[in-house]
Amino acid sequence: MATTHKPQLYQQTSQYRDWRFTSESLAQQRAANNKQGIERVLQGLREEAQVDDGSGTSEARIAEATKNLLTPNEEVELIDYYLQTILTYTRIYRKENLLKADAANNVKATAINFVKRFYLHNVVFDYPPKTIMLTCFYLATKVENSFVKIDDFIRPLATAEIKRNGKALTKNEDILDLEFVVIQSLQFELAVHHPFRPAYGFYLDMQAYIDNKPLLKEVYERTHHYIDQSLYTDLVFLYQPSQIALGAFKLAAKDKDLDIDPYLTECFEARLLETLYTILDDIQEAISSHKPTTIDKAREIDRKLILCRNPEKNPNSKLYKKKAANQEDAPYVSDSDSE
Amino acid sequence: MSILASAKKQDISAYTTKEDSCPQCQRMRYFNERMMLLVGPCYHRMCELCLDNTFSAGPAPCPECQRILRKNEFYQPIFEDLTVEREVRVRARMAAAYNKRQEDFKSLKDYNDYLEMVEDLTMKLLYEEDIDQTDSIIEKYKRENNAQIERNMSKRQREEKIQRMVLDQEKNKKQQLREEYLRQLEDEKREKVEAKNNIINALATSDKSAKEILKARAVQLKKSSLSNRNAGRKAQLELEALLKSATEGFYDDDDDIDIEEIDDGPFDPAESPYEPVVVKLREKYDDPTPAFRQGNLAAAGVTREMHQRYLIEGAMAGLFEPPFSDSAKSPSNMDTSAS
Repeated sequence: MATTHKPQLYQQTSQYRDWRFTSESLAQQRAANNKQGIERVLQGLREEAQVDDGSGTSEARIAEATKNLLTPNEEVELIDYYLQTILTYTRIYRKENLLKADAANNVKATAINFVKRFYLHNVVFDYPPKTIMLTCFYLATKVENSFVKIDDFIRPLATAEIKRNGKALTKNEDILDLEFVVIQSLQFELAVHHPFRPAYGFYLDMQAYIDNKPLLKEVYERTHHYIDQSLYTDLVFLYQPSQIALGAFKLAAKDKDLDIDPYLTECFEARLLETLYTILDDIQEAISSHKPTTIDKAREIDRKLILCRNPEKNPNSKLYKKKAANQEDAPYVSDSDSE
Repeated sequence: MSILASAKKQDISAYTTKEDSCPQCQRMRYFNERMMLLVGPCYHRMCELCLDNTFSAGPAPCPECQRILRKNEFYQPIFEDLTVEREVRVRARMAAAYNKRQEDFKSLKDYNDYLEMVEDLTMKLLYEEDIDQTDSIIEKYKRENNAQIERNMSKRQREEKIQRMVLDQEKNKKQQLREEYLRQLEDEKREKVEAKNNIINALATSDKSAKEILKARAVQLKKSSLSNRNAGRKAQLELEALLKSATEGFYDDDDDIDIEEIDDGPFDPAESPYEPVVVKLREKYDDPTPAFRQGNLAAAGVTREMHQRYLIEGAMAGLFEPPFSDSAKSPSNMDTSAS
């Protein structure tokens, strides 16, 4: 039994190399980010107080912000809500024929993944998820090879906003300005692997073992529903896409009363299955226990966020405006020139 | 599984001796070969006839301890000593309720404390101290941890199923190898007989000299028996290796094989640097992608087979990858003893 020591191809992906965590390390990282973010917010508010003419309101402002700081959990919930809206936007862009049908799934999944990766290194105090989500979506259309022009990209948003508020709020710059920030936070690693392809592969492979073809097809279509659910969870940081796909397949099979265990036992060695089953259990539980954040809850968190945003990064704050003005006055120095 | 499960499946027969007698009616096995001695929840013996007599009109007190019993609570004991019988049953009952595993606990100490607590309760039941109180504790625990108990139980059942499958697979493999070996032996024997007959025929019919014919045949015979013997030898070796691995247990680690000893064959400069994903493709799939349904090309140089191989390889890639753990990242094989 000669064992070769070559790496597998999937182990060479940046997703495998840099974006795998344990659920504990995820929680730790989020808590640490949150703590640092809060410090930055308070620091920014103090700086802004100096910029202000000191009319006495700044003390109350800081006190109000400290009362409304978000916990790491609230951050995740807020992000989760905006991830749900990605699904709506995908539908809108599909209707406008800006996205092709076979690309829509990947664009959506990549966008969701970018947002999740972005907030592993950033906090909502600095960058509110509403615009980050749009930037990630815009970036995902490029990454998944179905580029939408920025004017086309903005148009459905603007029409929706005009309908609701009477005027368009989102401008081209809002999205484009953040694009580099996002790519930087993604560590310039833009290739994401989703469970869609493995699920398709399983569907083809199972055809040899499961006789009821129409039912299998129904199960496969149902699998997409569960894969969509899995995108919102942290599973992508914990398990391989093929494992998530199989977990979703098992859930779908349970819905449709199809037993796919014969396929698994026939295809794979039993002792390998032993480890796989515990993984699949985890995945199935994570998918079925995920509850989307309700709009009311999101609104409540959003209202708190308005009060505790970091003024240093908020284009509407006085501090930001002053800094921007200072920067314009300063002569431009290229990085390569300064020695 | 346990003794009780085997007894239920009648793999283990009830304990009987020639000298058995019913403590109620004093009937002896000497007179009735098929007499059944049964035991109730109070661990007092009774023969089948007494049982029918005592409980013919519903629940009745046990003749020895006056506890109210029912007929369907009686069963055939497996052990000679009824205290052993009782302990086995009490422990089975406890194990069904207290089935937490080590991975359910944060630390080893918690797990050990839990085990000690369970053992204390078991002992109380066995020595009949505070039975009512202990029972109520157990019932309460069962109610509170219902979900987890069920989950662990199904986990356990599946593990047992997989263990059985591993054994079955190994047994089948062994059987196949054995059949192969026997077939080869038979083939060799038949060939020898055939060769002998051929020589006699050739000597009888051809007009070459006898010496020439014998020489040609001898060379041929030597060749064929040599190749056969090699094949037989190989099968024998495989059989031995399999037997060895089976006796070594399920998890034989080949890690301590010296890497240099493995012969990877001749050097191939065009070899893929990655481990290939082994997939078996079928002739035809029901492929939902319309572009590949007719077997024409969807893009330059991409055939349907390539597309399907790509999908199925995607499904198999990393399927058995264990979840990421922090310890896997840190170098575990650092040689500290060398310093």
